[in-house]
Amino acid sequence: MDLLIKNGFVFDPLNGVNGDKMDIAIRNGKIVESVTERTSKIIDATGLTVFPGGVDIHTHIAGAEVNTGRLVRPEDHEKDFVRKTANTRSGVGYSIPSTFITGYRYSRMGYTTVMNPSMAPLEAKHTHEELNDIPMLDKATYPLLGDWWLVLENLSKGDFEECARYVAWMLRITKGYAIKIVNPGGLESWGFGRNVHSIDDEVPNFCITPREIMCGLAKVNKMLNLPHAIHLHTNNLGIPGNYTTTLETMKCLESIPNDGKPVAHITHLQFSSFAGEDWGTLTSGAEEITKYINNHDHITFDMGQIIFTDTTTMTADGPFEYTLYQLSGHKWVNSDVETETSGGIIPFRYKRKNPVNAIQWSIGLELALMTKNPWKVFMTTDHPNAGPFTAYPKILAWLVSKKAREATFKRLHRKGQRRSLLPSITRELSLYDLAIVTRAGQAKSLGLKEKGHLGVGADADIAIFNLNPEKVDIAQKYKTFRRAFSNVAYTIKGGKVLVKDGEVLQQSAGKTMWVDVQTSQEVEVDEEIKRKFREYWTVEFDNYPVSDHYLKNSSPITIKADV
Amino acid sequence: MSIVKSVTCPVCGCLCDDIELTIADGAVAQVKNGCAMCEAKFFSHNNKHRITTPLMRKDGELVPVSYDEAIQKSAEILANATYPILYGWSSTDCEAQRIGVALAEEVGGVLDNTAVVCHGPSILGVQDVGIPTCTLGQVRHRADLIIYWGCDPWSAHPRHLERYTSFTDGRFEGSEWKSYINKVKAAAGKKKLRSLERKGILKERHPHIAPSVNDNKPPEILNKKGRKLIVVDVRKSMTAEVADYFLQVEYGKDYELIQAVRALVKDQELDVEKVAGVPVEYLQQLVDAMTSCEFGVIFFGMGLTQSAGKFRNIDVAISLVRDLNMRTKFAIMPMRGHFNVTGANTVFTWQSGYPYGIDFSMGYPRYNPGETTVVDILMREESDAGLVIASDPVSNFPRRAVEHLVKNPLIVIDPHMNATSLVGDIVFPASIVGIEKAGTAYRMDHVPLPLKKVVDPPEGLLSDEEILSRILNEVRNIKLKTLEVA
Amino acid sequence: MIVLTPLKKYQYPIIAECITPDVFQGKTKEELSNLPVWEGNKKRKLGELFKIDVTSVKSPDITIIGDVIKVKRIGWGMTQGEIVVNGNVGMHLGKKMSGGKIVVNGNTEGWTGSQMKGGLIEIKGNAGDYLGSPYRGSTVGMRNGKIIVHGNVGSDAAIYMKSGVIKIHGNADSFMGFRMTGGVIHIEKNAGTRLGACMTGGKIVVSGILKNIMPTFALELIKGKVKIETGEKAVGPFYVFLGDLAETGKGKLFVSKEKNPQMSQYERFL
Repeated sequence: MDLLIKNGFVFDPLNGVNGDKMDIAIRNGKIVESVTERTSKIIDATGLTVFPGGVDIHTHIAGAEVNTGRLVRPEDHEKDFVRKTANTRSGVGYSIPSTFITGYRYSRMGYTTVMNPSMAPLEAKHTHEELNDIPMLDKATYPLLGDWWLVLENLSKGDFEECARYVAWMLRITKGYAIKIVNPGGLESWGFGRNVHSIDDEVPNFCITPREIMCGLAKVNKMLNLPHAIHLHTNNLGIPGNYTTTLETMKCLESIPNDGKPVAHITHLQFSSFAGEDWGTLTSGAEEITKYINNHDHITFDMGQIIFTDTTTMTADGPFEYTLYQLSGHKWVNSDVETETSGGIIPFRYKRKNPVNAIQWSIGLELALMTKNPWKVFMTTDHPNAGPFTAYPKILAWLVSKKAREATFKRLHRKGQRRSLLPSITRELSLYDLAIVTRAGQAKSLGLKEKGHLGVGADADIAIFNLNPEKVDIAQKYKTFRRAFSNVAYTIKGGKVLVKDGEVLQQSAGKTMWVDVQTSQEVEVDEEIKRKFREYWTVEFDNYPVSDHYLKNSSPITIKADV
Repeated sequence: MSIVKSVTCPVCGCLCDDIELTIADGAVAQVKNGCAMCEAKFFSHNNKHRITTPLMRKDGELVPVSYDEAIQKSAEILANATYPILYGWSSTDCEAQRIGVALAEEVGGVLDNTAVVCHGPSILGVQDVGIPTCTLGQVRHRADLIIYWGCDPWSAHPRHLERYTSFTDGRFEGSEWKSYINKVKAAAGKKKLRSLERKGILKERHPHIAPSVNDNKPPEILNKKGRKLIVVDVRKSMTAEVADYFLQVEYGKDYELIQAVRALVKDQELDVEKVAGVPVEYLQQLVDAMTSCEFGVIFFGMGLTQSAGKFRNIDVAISLVRDLNMRTKFAIMPMRGHFNVTGANTVFTWQSGYPYGIDFSMGYPRYNPGETTVVDILMREESDAGLVIASDPVSNFPRRAVEHLVKNPLIVIDPHMNATSLVGDIVFPASIVGIEKAGTAYRMDHVPLPLKKVVDPPEGLLSDEEILSRILNEVRNIKLKTLEVA
Repeated sequence: MIVLTPLKKYQYPIIAECITPDVFQGKTKEELSNLPVWEGNKKRKLGELFKIDVTSVKSPDITIIGDVIKVKRIGWGMTQGEIVVNGNVGMHLGKKMSGGKIVVNGNTEGWTGSQMKGGLIEIKGNAGDYLGSPYRGSTVGMRNGKIIVHGNVGSDAAIYMKSGVIKIHGNADSFMGFRMTGGVIHIEKNAGTRLGACMTGGKIVVSGILKNIMPTFALELIKGKVKIETGEKAVGPFYVFLGDLAETGKGKLFVSKEKNPQMSQYERFL
């Protein structure tokens, strides 16, 4: 049946709609010009806020790393369990929810598309098996390619075309969506327990520097015409004083021709914006970083906002997790993957009364608020690294309300308060801005043409919030706002009403998107490459690719490359 | 006749995926690259004693019935049970395991896998202290110190050494196969002499005395460049024969030994001369070898997980590896037994948050090994129905547990008749995963690999996945009906 | 006082976290009998499993008469009042309790006093494994309160103990006080193996025999007496060991000199 959403306050930044009262018509899972009212199911959205479905550009929800995180934290699950109902499966939270619960909880906040940003290619099947078990959402996943031997070797030879062919091949056989780079060069070094400390440190055994890896892959990204820029986790992440590394990283990417489009997305930038000499003198580097970003157009970023809670950190950045282990002494997982990447996990509690955490909290918000153009900044917690995604409404409240920021601010460690730039920031995001940083901007950055907006032809992914923008001043009534964004009035995905009043009505499988890059010349699969394959990996060439069997709802996006 | 390459072997946690099969007349005719266990498994599908229809116990006798009847009855048993257990799972594919979680949740039962009697303690250790580990290729490329602790890959994981560790060529470390051949020759020679002596053909010239631990000084070789192999065990296994150094630990004293090594890694002095029968001086040399390597790895087996101390042994072994990472790069990995026991833990974890011993009786997953694990539940005589899939608890559970398992209705799903199916009330034959059914399995290092279907199952035979799905559907129907009635 | 008597011999595990003075307080007999409990996977009411009598006696608040070994979570999170059980009790007795008193005239199963924050548990019989220990994967052990066991204790007791007192009149099994960081344990009879392994603080006093001490403990001195709690001292002399050296070596192990002549060899290190 057709669906008509009547009379809501619609925020659709990609189409320039700012809170206008209008109707939205849906047929066959898509947004259309109009439908016959008489024969349609009507949702009366009078007095409600209508957004496109949420898009999350960076959230660790599936795969080997995430699941090991689940495995090591029974004490985290014990306190947050979910019973089975007639429509839904059972499971657990808290910081790393089980697959079904991940889907339900995202959907209850109005999200419809999420990106899993970290996948070791060798373990790609695992990631896809889990994505199949995450209902309610469309998904995609980024393979880790920054320390893959074939990338390092080809780039150090200067053979960009060959490198591009391998990357295209890898994206296709792992059913990936974008090039993910984590601590370039550092992960290979971590294979022998070492790390790189600047973008010009040489990677042992490979005659290449992080600078060359990042610029090389940015070039490759361009040659392949990939929808998203390189998705970059910088060197020296989480280390005091690292904002200079981040600035150098952004500067070195200026050399890539960009014709106005971003060439790199720097993820969880909060962790890469530390000034100061050591943990004792840590301060915010947000001012310098945002100054640079405001003056350049080749970078987008997401926040990686800290939440004061008990969570689980997990990243492919093995050496960084080791640093965290040394700081916390907590249980530590390290998992290096042959020829490709590494990984680590540490449970972590961010505390208000810890000066470092207090400053980190401030940095995330400073970055978001001091970046003038909202299309360059996206709201994330780097789930679950800086906090679980279920805390998003809290962050949104901090973004739209100085009052909400102050309420948290005054409970921070005094040192954190003194070093924060927040008291001088009066900016409060509007609902329109919010629709950009939580959906429109993210969809645009990802090149998802049918997501993040409500124009004709878009996927009918819609979130309706119980909030009347004419009656509620969100900057003052931030608690009302937060409640509305915690449990939607409706989540509609592909034209189906999945959630109503915060309750899951039905499960829907969602699809897995991946890029099928067509290069003029493909990687030639001959006995020679199979032999090399056997040398590099411990599995056979034939058993490496993710076959169609592993994608329940495969949704390839075909792209023609320049090579 | 056809040849199938790159077949994954569904036997042990090594999950070798380079097996080459020759298929003739719908049967496996030849197996290349595999070990003896692998060959035996691939030929087993042609076993004449396989049953091809479900059996149900009527008047004390197992009689053939249709799948429909067996599925209907199974669903009734499970749907009406107050505290059913669903056990096994380690020798089937992830696709079947996924349905298993849904079924356990639907019937409010306890889902448990064979980890509970092998590497369950390893998981408990990991949950307490984490685990610094890696994939096996990382070991092949980089490890120059390989330690097998309480395990004997030579017998239990025959191709582990040649595919992943000492006898492989990696990017940064080479194979030690030459020294290995010499050692194997020497060991074989010694064995032959001994056997001749036993038979009285050769006169016993040197009365055989087992070398005492005290004489077993760590050799100079531990300081050389290149790969070194150390075996720690309570007795000299075959793997120990080819090792550069064999450290014999007193039975049940692994915990003390590792804890002492940890103290030495931290440059502490000990107030004792010997630990677990080993002079501290030797341990010092062992510690030197550990801290001076470029990349070390410890593989551990049931000798550590199932001896006195159990999961605390793993806790301390992992703690040692954590400590060693302060000095160099070190990793640790359990030697998982069944080919997809890792997969079972993985699937259970992503769907429910917990790896094994999951109690769904209250409508949500609850986990507490010792309380919610099947052996303990059976020992306390709490369950009232059981489903066993792809395992044989009757032959390896404690007697009291088996007695209670058998006392209640018991559903068994397995390709072959085993001790458990002989005492079951409903027995389902299933196709053999990885030979007659395609699917997915996880290697001991969590690398997922596809399992192939290389021959057709006997006519009419369903797979684990199909049987479970149909039981699940029936259970849902029954619950729906009772809901309507209510 | 409310008296609960089991109506039958239970086969299935029963989860009854409602049996606490906090929940029972001010409820009528009918309300009590409607409290939810689980029997296996079936939802039941307390009144279906127990005979409930309300008497005019003030203390204790709750008395259970009979064997409730299958009943788990009695006294869950209680903050005040008193429960007396005349019989054996199931797992997780007094879990997360922060105040009040539980007396068991019988034995308990595992995880008694798990993650306890305060109050008193007294067990006249034996205690099972994981006495006063945290949940899987958690590092939050016993944070305060007191546990007295008149009989023996199973393995893995007092793990990650941070504060409080555990007194055992009988023997203790292995891994007692594993990774403890504070608090006091007194074992009046014999201790099991791996006592105090990985401990980084607190003290364990063994008045009986300690057959095997971890090799990572070093003798520090010999002491005549040691304080258990205010007004109570254990009389020695004791060997005082520091350990676990594999960790920080700041835990203290007091072992009776008289009962452990095999340890005299350590004296040469003094």
